[in-house]
Amino acid sequence: MTTLSAPPAVSSLAVPGVGEALARQRTKRRGRLYALIRWAGAALFVAVFLALLVTLLQQAAPALGHMGLSILWRGWNPQKNELGAGVFIVGTLLTTALALLLAVPVGVGAAAMFAELAPRWIAGPLTAMVEFLAAIPSVVVGLWGLIVLTPLFARDVEPFLKTVPGLDAAFHGEPLGSSILLAGVVLAIMILPTVVALSRVAMTGVALADREAGMALAATRWQVVRKVVIPGAGRGIRAAVTLAMGRAMGEAIAVAFVIGNGSGLPHSLLSPGASLGSAIVSSFSEALPGSLLKSGVVALVLVLLAISVAVNVGGQILMRTRRPAVPPRGPADGTGTPPTLAPDPGLVLVEMQP
Amino acid sequence: MSAPAASVTLSGPQLSQRELVRATAERRIGRRRVRSRLATAACAVTVCLSLAPLVSLIAYIIDRGARTLSLGFLVHTPKPIFVPGNGIGNAIVGTLIIVGLAMAMAVPVGLAASLFVMEGPRRLSGTIRFAADVLSGTPSIAIGVFAYAVIVLTIGYSGLAGSFALAVLMLPIMVRADEEAMAAVPAELWEAGLALGTRRGRIVRSVVLRSALPGIVTGNLLAMARAIGETAPLIFTIFGSQFYALRPTAPMSAMPLVIYTDATEPFKSAQATAWGTALVLLVLVVVVSVAARAVAAVMTRKAR
Repeated sequence: MTTLSAPPAVSSLAVPGVGEALARQRTKRRGRLYALIRWAGAALFVAVFLALLVTLLQQAAPALGHMGLSILWRGWNPQKNELGAGVFIVGTLLTTALALLLAVPVGVGAAAMFAELAPRWIAGPLTAMVEFLAAIPSVVVGLWGLIVLTPLFARDVEPFLKTVPGLDAAFHGEPLGSSILLAGVVLAIMILPTVVALSRVAMTGVALADREAGMALAATRWQVVRKVVIPGAGRGIRAAVTLAMGRAMGEAIAVAFVIGNGSGLPHSLLSPGASLGSAIVSSFSEALPGSLLKSGVVALVLVLLAISVAVNVGGQILMRTRRPAVPPRGPADGTGTPPTLAPDPGLVLVEMQP
Repeated sequence: MSAPAASVTLSGPQLSQRELVRATAERRIGRRRVRSRLATAACAVTVCLSLAPLVSLIAYIIDRGARTLSLGFLVHTPKPIFVPGNGIGNAIVGTLIIVGLAMAMAVPVGLAASLFVMEGPRRLSGTIRFAADVLSGTPSIAIGVFAYAVIVLTIGYSGLAGSFALAVLMLPIMVRADEEAMAAVPAELWEAGLALGTRRGRIVRSVVLRSALPGIVTGNLLAMARAIGETAPLIFTIFGSQFYALRPTAPMSAMPLVIYTDATEPFKSAQATAWGTALVLLVLVVVVSVAARAVAAVMTRKAR
């Protein structure tokens, strides 16, 4: 098969058994090499993972020791050595909730359109377009939010929202553009492709027989979507929402551009605020290395890490168990189609967003 | 004599009952159809709402970017504000070097680790899979701070620190993509190799990797496309540079960093640079992600 026996081996092959022994020795060595590669890769990977946790903990230790558990609710006031994440946690939760509130109904509606209601020739290209949004770097979305959306919100959107009766509590304050509201809108735009793509996949996975059962009962198309497809895809949609939520929480750059970077507790959706990510971006470079402030910023990183990892891992577990572990096989006589699990490249692109 | 059609033989009360049911159903189906149309229209509105920001974004990037773009912009180095002839040549080269180095670090480790996940002792490979889940859920800003603590605090601000951060960012994506591609290789191919008495390492190299290669290349290139546009891992690590910096241990510039710093400048010319860089960056990302799919398609066809 291969040239296992190089020139010197030709003579040794003449003696029975010697070439075989050489080959066996070489096989053994190569087998060990293969094991070495696998174990080295795994060890490096785990080392990086542990180093990440240990380094961050070590860097954050002074601030964590200084603040204790109160880091979770105290405010941020570096002049007074008060390094709490409370305000930023509120900012993160507010912007994320706003983003989900906007993106989930729109995303699930669009996914229903793409998966069920629209004719295929139009659904295909439109799906690709929405998913393309996922490929746009977050700093570019932030740039667009800063230069295009901020003036638009200051001039038109926010003054309009202030005129809507009954919403005074949410929208009082000066319409400045940069605000919790705008950060929520930008995040909604950024997580939309995740919601659309993963919900669409979940909906197309609903069994045809279920749909046919609905239609046999004279349900209209919308009734089938509403009563059969969306409930059937419930788990996948929940996974999509969870992953989108993790992404919204962890986003730092685009939010830092549009949230206004206030350090007080936001009193309305129009007031400038800060999320954990945007606070890290704006304070990290200013803090001197080795200072308590630097350590405090790393403590913010740890808090963000804990929250978003919990959400993301939850979403991934939802994703994983949705798929059957073993693809269904054909009949035992071997006529069934072999299992092919080629991943959908578009899905990979979306799924890998944090 | 039995009736040919049941409806003919129905007598008074039964008949009116049936008529009633039919009339109600007809009224209802009309209402349900209207509601179905309305709901479909609402879904169409959500589609428009999802496309509107995308269209606006793309239009702005192309329009504003094209105004800045010129050959000089692609090769010159940055000039002070109000000095004409600004360029991002060094940032383009910086991005290519930083991402190239990151790929060189992440691809082999990712592949080896995914081989471990596929074959290794099951309990340990579960641990690695969990680590990959956690790492891929880690915000990129946290990875930037990690790279700062590990590399910048030891050798200083450098392109290498940025590469390390991007490598950490790509690793979990690569491990998962590689593993998924190899899991898609039919078990029969494994069995055929084993039946020939081949070493497992040899089966992996000649059979499994070969047939999973299109998927692996696609997955790794998509990870690269993602890394090209990442800003958060770079802002604390590479520092930026005004010159063509080719040494990875020195501070370097990169396109996302240029957008990040210039976008917040109050000068129109800096914002123009940011838009121009955004266009170049987006083109690069699109080229890489399209290439990822094209490579897979070409390779799969060749394999058949």
